[in-house]
Amino acid sequence: MNSKTYKPSETVDFIVVGSGAAGGIVARELARAGNSVVVMEQGPRMAAEEFEHDELKYRHLSGITNNPVTNPQTFRRDPAQKAEAVAGRNPLTYARVVGGSSAHFNANFWRLHEIDFIEGSRLGPIEGASLVDWPITYAELEPYYTKVEWEVGVSGLAGASPFDPPRSKPYPMPPMPVKSSGVLFERGARKLGLHPFPAPMAINSVEYKNRPACIQCGLCGGFACEVQAKSSSVWTVIPEAEATGRCEVRANSYVFRIGMNRAGRATGVHYYDRERREQFQNARAVVVCGNGAETPKLLLNSATSGFSQGLANSSGAVGRYLMFNKGGNAAARFEHRLNEYKGANVTRIMHDFYDSDPKRGFYGGGGFDARSGGPLTWGQNVPKGTPSWGQGFKDYLESYTYWMTVSGHGTSLPVETNRVDIDPDAKDDWGVPAMRVTYNDHPDDVKHAKWQVERAVEIMDAAGAKQIVPGDVGAASGGVHLLGTCRMGNDPSTSVVDKYHRTHDVRNLFLCDGSSMVTSGRGQPTQTIEALAFRAGDFIAKFARANEI
Amino acid sequence: MESPIPSRRKFLTAVGNLASTGWIAMNWPQIALAAQHSGHNSGMGMTDPDAPPTKLATLSAAEAAEIDAIAEQIVPGGATPGARAAGVIYFIDNALGSFFGSQLPAFRQGLTEFGQGYAARYGGGKPFSAASGAQQIEWLQTVDKTPFFLAVRRLTVLGLIALPKYGGNRDYSGWTLLGVEDSHVWAPPFGHYDIDYAGFEPYPGTKPYMA
Repeated sequence: MNSKTYKPSETVDFIVVGSGAAGGIVARELARAGNSVVVMEQGPRMAAEEFEHDELKYRHLSGITNNPVTNPQTFRRDPAQKAEAVAGRNPLTYARVVGGSSAHFNANFWRLHEIDFIEGSRLGPIEGASLVDWPITYAELEPYYTKVEWEVGVSGLAGASPFDPPRSKPYPMPPMPVKSSGVLFERGARKLGLHPFPAPMAINSVEYKNRPACIQCGLCGGFACEVQAKSSSVWTVIPEAEATGRCEVRANSYVFRIGMNRAGRATGVHYYDRERREQFQNARAVVVCGNGAETPKLLLNSATSGFSQGLANSSGAVGRYLMFNKGGNAAARFEHRLNEYKGANVTRIMHDFYDSDPKRGFYGGGGFDARSGGPLTWGQNVPKGTPSWGQGFKDYLESYTYWMTVSGHGTSLPVETNRVDIDPDAKDDWGVPAMRVTYNDHPDDVKHAKWQVERAVEIMDAAGAKQIVPGDVGAASGGVHLLGTCRMGNDPSTSVVDKYHRTHDVRNLFLCDGSSMVTSGRGQPTQTIEALAFRAGDFIAKFARANEI
Repeated sequence: MESPIPSRRKFLTAVGNLASTGWIAMNWPQIALAAQHSGHNSGMGMTDPDAPPTKLATLSAAEAAEIDAIAEQIVPGGATPGARAAGVIYFIDNALGSFFGSQLPAFRQGLTEFGQGYAARYGGGKPFSAASGAQQIEWLQTVDKTPFFLAVRRLTVLGLIALPKYGGNRDYSGWTLLGVEDSHVWAPPFGHYDIDYAGFEPYPGTKPYMA
């Protein structure tokens, strides 16, 4: 299909920066509402057959992710330290292809619960953190969660968990077939009186919306789905946006600065094209859907005389309150083969410990799931006491198919000093100032993660594991869930965007992605990001129709 | 004996069984291209992009012999293939000549120091690779915390398990060791514990429902 194309000199209604979980949806909604839209994507557009089952390339060589050589970042734990590059990897990882990180996600699609939106008022202030209420409620977002499930495609079993928040419709597809890890997780958790249930996954369990059912290849996280069964933007909303005839997805187009006029309005975006030539695309409004790292980087790199601290940053909150979703896990070996390299990554989850319980003595809550890793990544490490080379190591390698992991996925508290900003020295391959990451876990996050390790061990013990390896809880030095860095709020002095994702400072500049999240949720943020995107698309289109942009 | 069926081909066949006719029709050009890209030589003089390297291109023969001997102690052969049979040395040579090329100078320096240390301990007459297995293990136990050994270990494991096109995991012997079968498509039951799963039983007070 030949989609619409625009010249940079044309003034389109909207530029959407980023083509991932949020960008694809916002673009579709705006284009369907009659607007002309250009989606800017840093990375290439890859066809289905170009995605490979190559664990070395995709998990160890930055196959489709931000490469530390070309897109460097620096890291420090303490704001008083000088940040340094981390050997061989970037702290914040995301995909740089059309579809963004939705192309390579594991596809765990959890809704937030009602409590996530009101923890600030329910739990009160927590020292060293800024735990506040969202400016919207679960009830306001519920129709958009449902829209994600039906428009994008999520499989699951509604009402199976006693802890499920209210929902207006069931999932459009039945849950994925259970794997041995799911059976053992369910067995152990039920023995303990807990309530595991079929995992909601953004993967087709049956043919849906002209895409096939999952072929259970086993390589979801880190990989793109070449059969298009995974509900990634590149296979779902982006083709639908293009089908309107009003949306162009411009790949290999790296936006490095937002253009501003003297009246304080965005005029378009400066970007490097495929040949690294500088270009400028004109637009009436800009919606930035980079991710929790790229969005604040773009705003901070767009400082002008009127916005010397970075664009839309009168609050000083741009880049701050970075959250990852910390958690604890345990690996376990069983008597018989599980073959966890087959099938979708997760088939059972549990939300019994979702809410924070003051009786534990610390803030934190989360969910658990049963999962596994690819063989190449698994083989790099051995449990304590297992030889790391020689015949004993070989014996361990031969046990690969007997192992599984119970993973806890939890809260990370918003801490003002945990942030993304601009490194004073480092630049990327395009000469754009690189991002600097400052992060130090809140003590409660560490306590909660250790608590999760204990629960994971109990579940695997109850399931009859022959060997259990409690996970280490180390200091976070990066992540893939990039949240909170342009938080939503009603007060312009403490937040970056309002409840409609409009920046408080620039009337025709909107932000929508993980950066909008006020709190971290419990470990699986993508469905919330997509629900926010559907909602943002709705409201921004209304504003455009009413000439209120 | 019939040659092993490439995993990609298995995938294409299975997709044909699983997906709707409409989906196949819609995607047939891409699927055909995927088969072309999967590296099955058409016999028209084209170079197979997935053909694994079979010659050393970066390391010298003497360097490779030492690395190969270390790798074989990390994952020894025997009743089942180890690092040598999997061709791990070709992976390491390929890696250090391409995607891990920046590590080559430090790697070479580490190898030199490894050899010097070995010679100081056992005399300079024969290299490490010519020693008995017992002596090799004895020496490695004294150096197995060094950055050089850890680098060889990491490369050995990567070479054992990464796709054969990178040089190691010859005939998927690494995957066979781990118990991983070479296929692109699976269907339940996946493992021992889901064979007899009776189905999800609802909890009291809940009413699971589907569309």
